[in-house]
Amino acid sequence: MNQRLGLIIDQERCIGCEACTVACRTENRGQSGWIRVKTQNSPDKDTPVGTFPNVSMHFLPTLCNHCEQPPCADACPLDAITKSDRGIIILLEDACDGCQACLDACPYGVIEFNADKGIAEKCNLCIHRIKVGLEPFCAICCEGQAIHFGDLDDPGSIVSKLSNTEGAFCLRPEAGTKPSVYYLPPKPPRGL
Amino acid sequence: MTIHTKWIRTVCPAHCGIDACGITAHVQGDRVVKLEPAEFPDPKHRRICLRGLSSLEITYHPDRLQYPLKRAGERGEGKFKRISWDEALDFIADKFKKIATTHGWPAIAWVLGGPGAGTTKFGAYLRLASLTRSTRVSAWGYGDAGLPCGSRVIFGTQFPFGFLFSQLWSGSPDAEMIVVWGANPGESQPLNLMRPIMDAKARGARLVVIDPRYTVTASKADQYVGIKPGTDAALALGLMHVIFNKRLKDDAFILRHTAGPYLVRDDNGQYLRGKDIGLPEENEYIIWDKRTDSPKRRSAADIQPALTGKFAVNGIACKPSLQLLRDLAQAYNPRHTSEITGVDAALITRLAERIGSSSTVIFVTHMGLTRTYYGDISFRALASVAALTGNVTATFKGGYLPAVLNWDPFLKAKPGEPSYKRLGILQLYDAVIKGNPYPVKAVWFSFINFLNQCADSRKIAEKIFPQLDLIVDTELFMTPTARYADILLPVCSYLEFSDLIPHPYPYVQLQQKVIEPLYESKSDVDIAAGLAERLGFGEYFQGGEDGFIDLILDSGNDSIKGVTREKLKEGAMSLMLIPEMDREFDIPFSTATGKIELYSESLYENGQALPVFAEPLETPIRPENRKYPLAFVQGHSRFRTHSMFANVKSLLEMNPEPVVEINPRDAAERNIANEERVEVFNDRARTLLKAKLTEGVRPGVINITQGWWIDQFQKGSVNHLTHDVINPVQEKVYEPNMHMNDVAVEVAKYKSEKEV
Repeated sequence: MNQRLGLIIDQERCIGCEACTVACRTENRGQSGWIRVKTQNSPDKDTPVGTFPNVSMHFLPTLCNHCEQPPCADACPLDAITKSDRGIIILLEDACDGCQACLDACPYGVIEFNADKGIAEKCNLCIHRIKVGLEPFCAICCEGQAIHFGDLDDPGSIVSKLSNTEGAFCLRPEAGTKPSVYYLPPKPPRGL
Repeated sequence: MTIHTKWIRTVCPAHCGIDACGITAHVQGDRVVKLEPAEFPDPKHRRICLRGLSSLEITYHPDRLQYPLKRAGERGEGKFKRISWDEALDFIADKFKKIATTHGWPAIAWVLGGPGAGTTKFGAYLRLASLTRSTRVSAWGYGDAGLPCGSRVIFGTQFPFGFLFSQLWSGSPDAEMIVVWGANPGESQPLNLMRPIMDAKARGARLVVIDPRYTVTASKADQYVGIKPGTDAALALGLMHVIFNKRLKDDAFILRHTAGPYLVRDDNGQYLRGKDIGLPEENEYIIWDKRTDSPKRRSAADIQPALTGKFAVNGIACKPSLQLLRDLAQAYNPRHTSEITGVDAALITRLAERIGSSSTVIFVTHMGLTRTYYGDISFRALASVAALTGNVTATFKGGYLPAVLNWDPFLKAKPGEPSYKRLGILQLYDAVIKGNPYPVKAVWFSFINFLNQCADSRKIAEKIFPQLDLIVDTELFMTPTARYADILLPVCSYLEFSDLIPHPYPYVQLQQKVIEPLYESKSDVDIAAGLAERLGFGEYFQGGEDGFIDLILDSGNDSIKGVTREKLKEGAMSLMLIPEMDREFDIPFSTATGKIELYSESLYENGQALPVFAEPLETPIRPENRKYPLAFVQGHSRFRTHSMFANVKSLLEMNPEPVVEINPRDAAERNIANEERVEVFNDRARTLLKAKLTEGVRPGVINITQGWWIDQFQKGSVNHLTHDVINPVQEKVYEPNMHMNDVAVEVAKYKSEKEV
């Protein structure tokens, strides 16, 4: 089954609540959520940019991009990071010796080092759920209904359609990693 | 060995009473290992929030109270000794009887706060209050009474939360525009309210957000309106000014659904009645008929009522009530309104034009702007904008019935006999301190962190608590309030008892007991039953939670016919749907006129017959030369439901401590840097915490999210800064509110005692 499973994250719908982060933590028992919500262009969380009242605030949840060309996998000396035939980049905890080469290689900074376990950790798209026909837990728990999950290679899927809408983008395309996580930008305010 | 996992459908009721999420608990052995959003008949209600996801940390919190405690030190000291349930309940029953003998049963007050979305846990104590004819202290007044006060004046009692978001809940036709006014559903009601708002926006609705804070909701707006706090009524009058002058009002709606055409006497401000002009229908309201140029009964045939003008009827000078509103609004031209509100004049005009010319506008508000001294008027003013433009739901053509549950078994435990007395929570202060209107000597706190969440915490600790002969608290944790209890009783977390949950609209759900009560904790129903037994009312408390759930379902309104506890175990059930009818019915408003009252004759003597703008009690809208020039507001945080979840570790990791949000311009004037420790102070208290510089608050405004526990501050707390001033009009109309968002403060860099 060749697929390219991925997510579409709609910034228009994201309310920055971090339920995804909490959901990930409860589902995957990682030391912290493997999906994190940043406030875009702002040094501080939940803090707008601009000068009152001409301000704006947008949220950007980031997680493993499940890249088609994953530099983390190339960098791992132990082949502990592999790509499944469904397009999911999996970090095999048992094979990881904690060298952290993947952390350096990832252009997105979304791999974490778990000091307690001495290994690297990252989003595996809830592969244990996908295997039994469920969606990633962050998508189920998203308060804003901003996270869509599906097969980007299936032209009939919602994610495939959304990834082709105007304005859809990936993070750091110049890195050439071909992410499977796409974003839809917030709608610009129309005024009155 | 494989571990068997059992799935049980239940409800997380940890919202403050107006919403709840269906969840599925995964149970292994006697332990809940995971929570997830439950399936729902309507998939848009399949949901959970970050607090719900973290709520196992409450159930399995290491600090949970495990057994009944009796105070062993001074009140507030936190010294307790373990006692048995029998000892605890015997002690309380004895004390109650003694107090009742000396002072009467009303001296015993049940202070029941936001019950979450529960019914029987709340109802059990009400039933006991009803049977003992003691005092029920209503919790509306700790922030939530301002809106119903205003709503009662303009709409009557059937809209406890106003007309506002019912339209979004019931999925009425698409709005062209949504005006969120003084509310932040993106953070405080993300699931029940923000989702439909964003759905409507995706379908084309234009979103406007009016708020002194640039909130997450504001970040989604097509237009943000950064108003000065406490000036909402002025903005509404400014909008009305434009709506009147540009002829944008909806005359057909006003004539059909409001008392706008009813004549008001110049001399006494009362509606002109039949008796004033010699009609046999003595109390009938009178209009001026343009067709015959004469006064007529409002119900007369073939009339064309005037909405404006001046008339003399039987020598009595009078005007249609709408004319009076129009006259008031004339003083609020956009330029003048801009000076008061800080909103750009052109923006005010444009906003009014948009509201007036859009086919459907949904106004969404909540408690933010009504937690001010004149918050009831602010609500009336914005509701008047909605009514003038025909944007109030005033007809019914089928759909779900709004009434859900019959509370009578709790409110009137013995039908036909007297029940409890009722005091507003702000009236409790004087009842305890001054014995006014009657003395209260014992309080029972449930679902409330009174000291933490009510106005003027220091007064509570220093003036109220010492006057009480008995303080009982049912709690999960040693909260700031619990420390003052004489008897502290451990209650179950929501996974350990059953309840009936009438949310989300239009659904009913069963909060199903998932695990047995941990430690020695008991459900509130069981606690009430144990006490009832000792007070001679045991027969009214048979059957536990399930018995009470059945009592509500069996005595229910038409809307819950066919709903049973057994069926609810499988999933949520919707209320009964009234099929679409071939004609629309006018919804009768329970005001004196039966119509929307833009003008209230009963408040004429208070100078508030119209939604007049008055300067806030404390909020400095002209800060120059003020000792306390900053307006202090308390937003809500997504990390807490009021003071619940303030002690949950994983949420604290994301949001570790209280901060005061201050605009960089105000911070610069005070030489305050980001993350620096500052004191927020007024004559009542000094509160010490970290500063967060942000353009997310208007200059002149500071925000500290409410709900942090007093012990989480280095000194003071939010409610050490607030006041307990009563607005007598609110007391007359409904119940006085606490004005948490009508508080003036100053902020200064903190100097330790060594530095001073």
